[in-house]
Amino acid sequence: MSLWVVLFAAVIFLAALSFLFVQSRTAVRQEAISHATEILDKTSLRVTGILNRVEVASKMTEWLVNRHIDNPESMLLYSRSMLENNPDFSSCSIAFEPYYFKEYGRYFSAYTRYDADTLRTSQGGSDAYQYFYMDWYLMPKLLDRATWTEPYMELDAASGHQEMVTSYSRPILNSKGDYVGTLNTGLSLNWLSQTISAVKPYPHSYSVMIGKGGTYFVHPDEKKLLKQTIFTPTMEKPDSALDSLGHAMQRGEEGMTELSVDGQHCYVFYKPLGVTGWSMAIVCPESDIFQGFTRLRTTALIIVAVGLLLMLFFFIRIITRELQPLRRLADEAETIASGQFQTQLPDFGRIDEIGQLSQSFGNMQHSLVNYINELKTTTAQKASLESELNVASSIQMSMLPSVFPEREGLDMYASMSPAKEVGGDLYGYLLAENSLYFCVGDVSGKGVPASLFMAQVTRLFRTLAGQHLLPAEICRQLNDALSGEENQTDMFVTLFVGLVDLTTGHLSFCNAGHNPPVIGGGESGGEFLKMLSNFPVGVLPGLEFQGEEVESIKNRPLFIYTDGLNEAENRAHEQFGDDRLLDILRNTRFNSARQVVETLSECIEKHRDGADPNDDLTMMCLRVS
Amino acid sequence: MNRTNAKIFCAVLLTAVFFSGTAAAQKITFVPQWTAQAQFAGYYVAEDLGFYKDAGLDVEIVHPSIAQPAMDRVLNGECQATTLQLCQALDVVDSGTPIVNILQTSMNNGMVIASSRGVDPLTQKGARVGIWSVGFGQMAICMSVKEQLNYEWVRFASNVNLFVAGALDATLAMSYNEFYQLLQAGMQIPEKSVYRFCDHGYNVQEDGLYMTREYFNKHKDEAHRFAQASRRGWEWAAEHPEETLDIVMKYVDQAQIATNRTMQRLMLAEVLRLQVDRESGEREFRLRPDMVKLASSLMVENFMLGREIAYEELVEQ
Repeated sequence: MSLWVVLFAAVIFLAALSFLFVQSRTAVRQEAISHATEILDKTSLRVTGILNRVEVASKMTEWLVNRHIDNPESMLLYSRSMLENNPDFSSCSIAFEPYYFKEYGRYFSAYTRYDADTLRTSQGGSDAYQYFYMDWYLMPKLLDRATWTEPYMELDAASGHQEMVTSYSRPILNSKGDYVGTLNTGLSLNWLSQTISAVKPYPHSYSVMIGKGGTYFVHPDEKKLLKQTIFTPTMEKPDSALDSLGHAMQRGEEGMTELSVDGQHCYVFYKPLGVTGWSMAIVCPESDIFQGFTRLRTTALIIVAVGLLLMLFFFIRIITRELQPLRRLADEAETIASGQFQTQLPDFGRIDEIGQLSQSFGNMQHSLVNYINELKTTTAQKASLESELNVASSIQMSMLPSVFPEREGLDMYASMSPAKEVGGDLYGYLLAENSLYFCVGDVSGKGVPASLFMAQVTRLFRTLAGQHLLPAEICRQLNDALSGEENQTDMFVTLFVGLVDLTTGHLSFCNAGHNPPVIGGGESGGEFLKMLSNFPVGVLPGLEFQGEEVESIKNRPLFIYTDGLNEAENRAHEQFGDDRLLDILRNTRFNSARQVVETLSECIEKHRDGADPNDDLTMMCLRVS
Repeated sequence: MNRTNAKIFCAVLLTAVFFSGTAAAQKITFVPQWTAQAQFAGYYVAEDLGFYKDAGLDVEIVHPSIAQPAMDRVLNGECQATTLQLCQALDVVDSGTPIVNILQTSMNNGMVIASSRGVDPLTQKGARVGIWSVGFGQMAICMSVKEQLNYEWVRFASNVNLFVAGALDATLAMSYNEFYQLLQAGMQIPEKSVYRFCDHGYNVQEDGLYMTREYFNKHKDEAHRFAQASRRGWEWAAEHPEETLDIVMKYVDQAQIATNRTMQRLMLAEVLRLQVDRESGEREFRLRPDMVKLASSLMVENFMLGREIAYEELVEQ
């Protein structure tokens, strides 16, 4: 639970932080671009300002040179004047084509430079220094326009140090417009080198300057200075990013690119320096630019991680503490569930939901204990009742004969299975010499009332049969005894009462609303006994019952039963049925009365298929031979 | 010690002094024709690994300056050996200084014309083409005339900046040096814009090791040992290019040359490639008479020589 809450919180935090990081990174990047662009603009502006001065001074001197183009002495003067008027310039050459001034021979270059702190003007050309093969001389001649030369290192004799210089060269044309020489003004670039080297917007950033040919003129690595170009690393190992950057800088473009420098991802900001064709670049390691951002991000992530861990820790603690009573309650519930209802529930002394739950649980336990006690009492009472019913059942069963006469010419058997502990069915017989009285009855209703009614009927039958009355008379007297004021419960009984003369097989019977018995033999092998319909016994007082007779039932088995047989239901509430009963009896070979009863009992069991009996079942079979 | 013993002792002593005198290494000052670079790697190897010392020579390698070019030093006796391209050697002989080729290292011509306009230099009639102010361009001038290209030659001290600035239509360059410098300056030069002299009937050998015939005749043994030790240096360099590069960079750094290891590695590989004869596939270290004849004829035709110079005039007779 705690973990899910923390995970959800972590997702929310991370989503919010990611958005914040992306926005911050974009802002930092934009800031870096603005910062670098500002520095580049300032440097470029400063360079342009100084170079413009050189260009203006050169143009003015060129005008003077053109005025006295045939006077070599003037050239020496103008060359010197240039440096006198512009002390920050380092040299000035006014050089002419070979033999231009024939009196000076092949070389004439009016050359002025500083010698320590003093100006020195001399004739600069010689066999050892054939100036007309030099870049500064050839460039304006070949390009036919003024140009800045690539920077180069010059040894300062006074200080012994090398200094970076460049020069601005203008073509000198005669009055016909023909090229006759070059006016070259030298400018120390130490200031530029220092200015660019000092540009360091980030702790590990550095600045470089390349010339038109890509040569490094400013670079923190002295091994590269003047010895390598920006393209050198690409000579043996192609690097398209570096190549593109170099060409963009050569083309005088301004911009920013990302590339890997010595295995470090860097942002490179570049811009041309005025009209010189040189380009300056600031190389900033990404880690530097985003140092603050990275620190912030790391700190934020650590805080979030620690916060989430603390949250997880406290959630677990709090939830564990809050759930502790519930856990105890659960344990106690287990104990109660195991049957120990008197277990004392803990008192948490709380009024919140946990307290309410504990109190409800206590109430439930109290109710449960009461209920269990009531249940115990009820169970005890029920057990007592069951015990009594068992006794009643035994008594009832003892009223029904379990022994049948064993006499030559008579085979008789009967059984009664109550649907409950006690039933309302009955059967009975009385053998007096050659006369056999028998009856099968079914009391309305079931249970104890029916059983008591049945006991009364059984006792009366035996009494009346003992008086040798005919079956109809027995029924009439039974009816009188059991109906009217005597019968407050309005109970009645269907009854089949028969009397067989065992010598002749003559059967007298009275059917008081009972199912027709089946009599065997005859053409069909068995059929329902056709008989008059009388009221059941006990319905109304004073009823008359008509008796009937069958001449002889010798060798014709008689099967009497209650509706618990033909109306026995299975699980689908399908009744056993008269037809099936008749069919079984017709097709069952008669071995004995008991065999017939047991066969049908098995058929009924099979039909029920496990369903509980829906009514008391009584069967009686007798055969006189 | 009796008198006889004393005589024997003195004789032994004198003999020892005599032998030690002859065992002293012969001093040779060698000035290659250009500043320190991998073009002279074999000589640096021979000196650095003691091949010269093994040959009983005390060789000092000194590089030239603008004020004191190599050939000037040879002529005034300041140095005893230098390197020259074949055309330069012919020029020197023609000017009246007999010289001897004691070891020929180059077997092929490494000169090219690179166009800055992205076209075939043979189509650039009348183009402004850069050429070294100090020589080396004889074959190019001959070719320009022969192919009726009539190039306008612009002599330069250094061609890279002029080429980059577009001041030249094309330039001469050595395949092992200036050509790589142009590429290092960011120039994109397609192969169709490169005219290689060796592929157009101008395959004339270049660098060889020379002495004046006068010095050679007096010090033949030293000259032979010097040539053999130098050859040994080149053969070692061919087998150990990376170690050779370490040695080259030592000389380059001492001379404070504005170059780098990458450029020197490329140069060394190209120089070693040019030392393999196209026909035999071998590093032959010999001057080929047919190439001498070709160079001499072309230069005479173009009035660069007053007469034909024969192969025999350049080798030991």
